[in-house]
Amino acid sequence: MTALIMDLRRNRLLASYVIVGTLFLILVIAGGLLSDRFLTWRNFSNLFQQLIVLGMVSLGQTFVVLMGGIDLAVGALVGALTVFLASFLEWRPDMLWLAIPLSAIIATAIGALNGLMIVVLRVHALIVTLGMGSIIFGATLMYRREPGGSVPNAFADFAYANVGNIPISAIVLVAIFALAGLWLQRTRSGRDIYFAGGDPEAARLNGVHVNKVIILAYAISGLCAAGAAIFLTARTGVGDPRIGAALTLQSITPVVVGGTILAGGRGGVLGTFLGVLLVTTLNNLLNFVNVSSYYQWVIQGLIIIIAVAFNTSGKRR
Amino acid sequence: MTASTNAPVPRTRNLTTAAIFERYGLVIFLCILLVVAALISPPFLQPANLVNVLTIAAPLGMVVVGQTFVILVRGLDLSVASLMATVAVLATAFKATGNDAIPMIFVAAIVFSAIVGLISGWLVTKRNVSPFLATLAMMIILQGVRFAYTGGAPISTLPPGMSFLASGRILGIPVNLITLAILATALGIVLHRSRFGRQIFMVGSNPKAALLNGVPRDRVVILCYVICSICAGIGGLFLLGYVGTVSNWVGQGYELDSIVAAVMGGVALSGGRGNVFAALLGVAVLVVINNLVLLLGFPIEMQLIIKGIIIIGAAAFYRTRLF
Repeated sequence: MTALIMDLRRNRLLASYVIVGTLFLILVIAGGLLSDRFLTWRNFSNLFQQLIVLGMVSLGQTFVVLMGGIDLAVGALVGALTVFLASFLEWRPDMLWLAIPLSAIIATAIGALNGLMIVVLRVHALIVTLGMGSIIFGATLMYRREPGGSVPNAFADFAYANVGNIPISAIVLVAIFALAGLWLQRTRSGRDIYFAGGDPEAARLNGVHVNKVIILAYAISGLCAAGAAIFLTARTGVGDPRIGAALTLQSITPVVVGGTILAGGRGGVLGTFLGVLLVTTLNNLLNFVNVSSYYQWVIQGLIIIIAVAFNTSGKRR
Repeated sequence: MTASTNAPVPRTRNLTTAAIFERYGLVIFLCILLVVAALISPPFLQPANLVNVLTIAAPLGMVVVGQTFVILVRGLDLSVASLMATVAVLATAFKATGNDAIPMIFVAAIVFSAIVGLISGWLVTKRNVSPFLATLAMMIILQGVRFAYTGGAPISTLPPGMSFLASGRILGIPVNLITLAILATALGIVLHRSRFGRQIFMVGSNPKAALLNGVPRDRVVILCYVICSICAGIGGLFLLGYVGTVSNWVGQGYELDSIVAAVMGGVALSGGRGNVFAALLGVAVLVVINNLVLLLGFPIEMQLIIKGIIIIGAAAFYRTRLF
């Protein structure tokens, strides 16, 4: 808790957090009033199953954005990893213990490769990750054009499992966010991410290995994409190259809504968590009141504009 | 000093080999691609086929011209593809069956696009929203509005003249290529020969200095977004004529392709350096490569892989010349 309070003070993000948190509470209350099925354990567990995928990808995106970068390869990576997992498990259903770490290693390596190219080629992160996303997507499609593969039942059960009334997905997500927050606030390497993102030159002069930090941030983003893909594969039971396509841009919304600025150096994972809660709950609620998904897009766009354009604490250029 | 101070290319006279390579690298690359294509498939280089290839590329070219303006002022427009599709839907909203509706469709499309550009530009300048987020939000909003209007179904009520725009010819030259040439030349002159163009380069290379020198920075940036949106809107109408029916995803992928082409053409994402015609050359390279992949008998997904490699490679290539 103290870590959270320190986080709030240091980044002067309190305003963003309070606004997003309040909006979330209003949504929950509105949901409870509008539908008697909204505030149920069943919907809660359903919500968290929707939330964990976006949450994981957005978490990874947060690290990259804090570094002043952006990762546009995550969507393609998630798709590729679901294809890898489902195909591998179809071939050897008994090797779940190998498939999961393997997918995490592959994803981390691809993320690190993104960072490495940004550092070595000195090309804008947007271009590198865009190109990488295109390469991954193309390669995945060449292997499997349509959704396919299968997973053992034990793996599928994991996605829907509960501890008591609380879905495992919720516990996992909260635990990972808490760990990530603690790491960012409490360890030297975590703090270096803020430092290198806020002012790379000053960080360099102060002995921070900025290049290493950049590679680390993209590697984490890859690892988080693996987390999302593992859960997604367990839930859907197939590998679908296109399943992540929308995630690339969707994952940025919670990050900026949570107060992390694209210029880097300011923000945090708590904001992202609140952002994910807000976006997912809003979509969930709009589904409950039968608002077409088309308007959900409009609302999502408006949320981005309102969060960023009217956040007066935004960095002036 | 003249306008050429801000021009993207190094001054002429004593050009070193490296400088020549930097300047004409893309042309050389394109020539190599054309030769390879011709060797693999001799019919490729026949004028008829080349014109066909270029006709398909014309709408993308229009978008790239606009995208160049935005990138020059350190921006980026992710909403172009969504705008193209929305303009296409708007064109069908007239439910016109006669050709006399075409001017009205064009006016409506241009006005609509200009408003979209104004909003993006306003968000970027007056509200300090990063171009990425501002145009991303516009992209999603336009997408939602469009789908809400059409209900997701394709429409095909179009004046017959629209398809003439896309595939018709005047004196044997495709109409859309003529339009692209006029658009690119006009905007090229604006960019490289007018005061406004000089202001664009000044704002792009150093926004603060430009402001101190009395350049109306915000107005210049907003105008660039308006120009970009209008180009995308016009591109959308021409693409619509080519496709014939409006699916809600007309132009999908053009936002990224237009950025890829501009970067290949040497337009720097850091702003202040670039050239409309080089960006169009980037379009040509992109289109020829896509064609080549098919000629070589590779699966179409290979285009994605090659496009990815090329955009990173091109950006790295231009990055090195800063040293």
